[in-house]
Amino acid sequence: MKRLAGILSSITFKLALIYTLIFGVSVGVLFYFVYFSTTGFVVQQKEAAIEADVTGFQETFERSGVTGLIIAVNRRASPGTNRDGIYLLVDSVGNTLAGNLRSWPRNAVADDLWVNFTINDLRRAEAETADVRAKQYVVQGGQQNYMLLVGRDVRDAREFRSRLLDSLNVGLAITLALGVFGGLIFSSTIMRRIAAITRTCRRIMSGDLSQRVAVSRQNDELGQLSLSINAMLDQIERLMNGMRQVSDNVAHDLRTPLTRLRSRLESALRHMDNPAERETIEGAIADADSLLATFAALLRIARAEAGSQRNFVDINLNALAEEVVDLYGPLAEEKGLEFVTQFDEGLTARGDPNLIAQALANLIDNAVKYTQKGAVTVALSQIEGRPAFVVADTGPGVPEAYRGKVLERLFRLEQSRTSPGSGLGLSLVAAVAKSHGLDLRLEDNMPGLRVVLRFPAHLATVGEGKGDAKAPKPQAKPRPEAASETKPPADAQAA
Amino acid sequence: MNASMTEVRSSGRSDTADLLAQKRAQQTDSAMRVLVIEDDKDAADYLVKGLRESGYTVDHAADGRDGLFLALSEPYDVMVVDRMLPGPDGLSIVESVRKAAIPTPVLFLSALGEVEDRVAGLKAGGDDYLAKPFAFSELLARIEALLRRSGAVPENTFLKVGDLEMDLLARKVTRQGKRVYLHPREFRLLEYLMRHAGQVVTRTMLLENVWEYHFDPQTNVIDVHISRLRQKIDKPFDKPILQTVRGAGYKLDPAT
Repeated sequence: MKRLAGILSSITFKLALIYTLIFGVSVGVLFYFVYFSTTGFVVQQKEAAIEADVTGFQETFERSGVTGLIIAVNRRASPGTNRDGIYLLVDSVGNTLAGNLRSWPRNAVADDLWVNFTINDLRRAEAETADVRAKQYVVQGGQQNYMLLVGRDVRDAREFRSRLLDSLNVGLAITLALGVFGGLIFSSTIMRRIAAITRTCRRIMSGDLSQRVAVSRQNDELGQLSLSINAMLDQIERLMNGMRQVSDNVAHDLRTPLTRLRSRLESALRHMDNPAERETIEGAIADADSLLATFAALLRIARAEAGSQRNFVDINLNALAEEVVDLYGPLAEEKGLEFVTQFDEGLTARGDPNLIAQALANLIDNAVKYTQKGAVTVALSQIEGRPAFVVADTGPGVPEAYRGKVLERLFRLEQSRTSPGSGLGLSLVAAVAKSHGLDLRLEDNMPGLRVVLRFPAHLATVGEGKGDAKAPKPQAKPRPEAASETKPPADAQAA
Repeated sequence: MNASMTEVRSSGRSDTADLLAQKRAQQTDSAMRVLVIEDDKDAADYLVKGLRESGYTVDHAADGRDGLFLALSEPYDVMVVDRMLPGPDGLSIVESVRKAAIPTPVLFLSALGEVEDRVAGLKAGGDDYLAKPFAFSELLARIEALLRRSGAVPENTFLKVGDLEMDLLARKVTRQGKRVYLHPREFRLLEYLMRHAGQVVTRTMLLENVWEYHFDPQTNVIDVHISRLRQKIDKPFDKPILQTVRGAGYKLDPAT
């Protein structure tokens, strides 16, 4: 229903409709003209033949009287002479003297000088019935008057007319159909090109600035439009890259002096005894640390975005998830949140394990940070046959309008400005997603935010025999109190 | 020089430099010798000055050739080597040093902080890897860790710090003879702290060695793990032994 409404309101449809209407009306007018001029011509021809007959009879009558007229009428009425002629000559009392009608027609309908009637008992070879158009004359002889009727069977003319009308109607219908078809093709070619432009613009808005509108015919108006849009995009991309470059450069170049500043403060702290002064310096060190952390995060994002597939290895996603959860789980528990993990078994994928771990860590960190009460759920499962991490919380969530925005660098929602963080956590996730081609979706968890990070088909290396038919095993991690008996990992001591 | 440093320390504050110098005084009369191979003058000055202030005897080489010569001819306790150098680069220097069967621990410094750079450094024979720029306290803590390791018995199965004892084979921890139950990860965390008892351990070092992650964890995750560990090894007892060193990290110290 919605789809139909969509079609009806589309420009493609409107254009096709207008095109068809104009086309149909012009063809209709043309057909009307052809119809009336053709049928008019046929009738005129018949009438002219009747007039000619009458003139002939008049001459015969003047030359050789009634007897001659009878002969002439009978000759004209004989089937061999004239296929569609209708003739009748009667005397003053109505006796038939000559012709191919038995008697004077009673059902004649007058039409100006003419009469029209149908007759069923025609004495003629071809057919007994006829639709007749005729003229009646009074022939004034010496003793008595005679009545003469000269007509033509117009059945074939009428048939011709109805057949013509039929053909014209069919022609009009075909024309309209062709019009609709042509209009659809005509408008959809244009609209397809416009839709392609729209699609590209959408993709660009969703963050992929490398997209460009395909330019097929450079010289027409749409080609020009595409070229202009592409030029505009080049400009935007240049500006965006420039901005990113600047922020990366600033981050990079300021890190060294900032680190030295921090060390000098540290060194100063060493020679300081006044607690108030110490506190000031310690505060300054903390500030320097948070600046350094922001810069480091910016650079990490830049590196993650540039990340190449060179470092991709097969990752055991379960082990990776377990480790990240092991590191971040206590954070949620300290905050009094329920921390739930649901891992399907045996999931693997290709990727840079360090970046993937970092992305997952940031998602969990974010979920914990913005959730005041409720639960944080971390799941690893297969979605449409591809492994995916899902991190869901019961925090305030992100309004739909801002879901693209929060992935941008340093963007923070108004209500989260007061909470700690740099606004770079999700940007890093987005950067990792970009370099890996991961599908990153922010959804409503009702309430809260649900982030899905799904591997692309070409990176999914799902272990054999582990289809998605397997139900996820919820394993809420209660972290038993006496777990020190557990065997340590083999690499227990690296340093 | 050592003597004067010890006096500053006696004010009772515990921070990195004091601690290191203290170690120096306890362990040996002569200061530990550090070789710094770094071509950038500013960075080198900063390193040399900081290390000297912390009680080390420092030699500095400004290029790969001098660095290699010193590394092969003089006995050092630890070497700090920049990766990118004129002459032979840091990786080749360390490879040559290892070929010459010199076991001196090496700390690489590099602007390249990627995981693969780190792996390349460790493969060449480096013992630790620190990306530039770094906090000086981080460098000190790592040098300290390297010095300690070179002298210590590598894999003790029984650790003891004050009244805290850890049996690695039985996976058992006791304090004042009372059993302390730990999760596996807490166990590893405590093990690392005990192996580096008395010295500052930074959050990054913990993240790298206990969790084997090489990224900034955004928030204070490590602090959360430490506070949980404290709940078990400190809270039930009268004297805390796990200290926070402000601006640097943590320290397991039986002396306090």
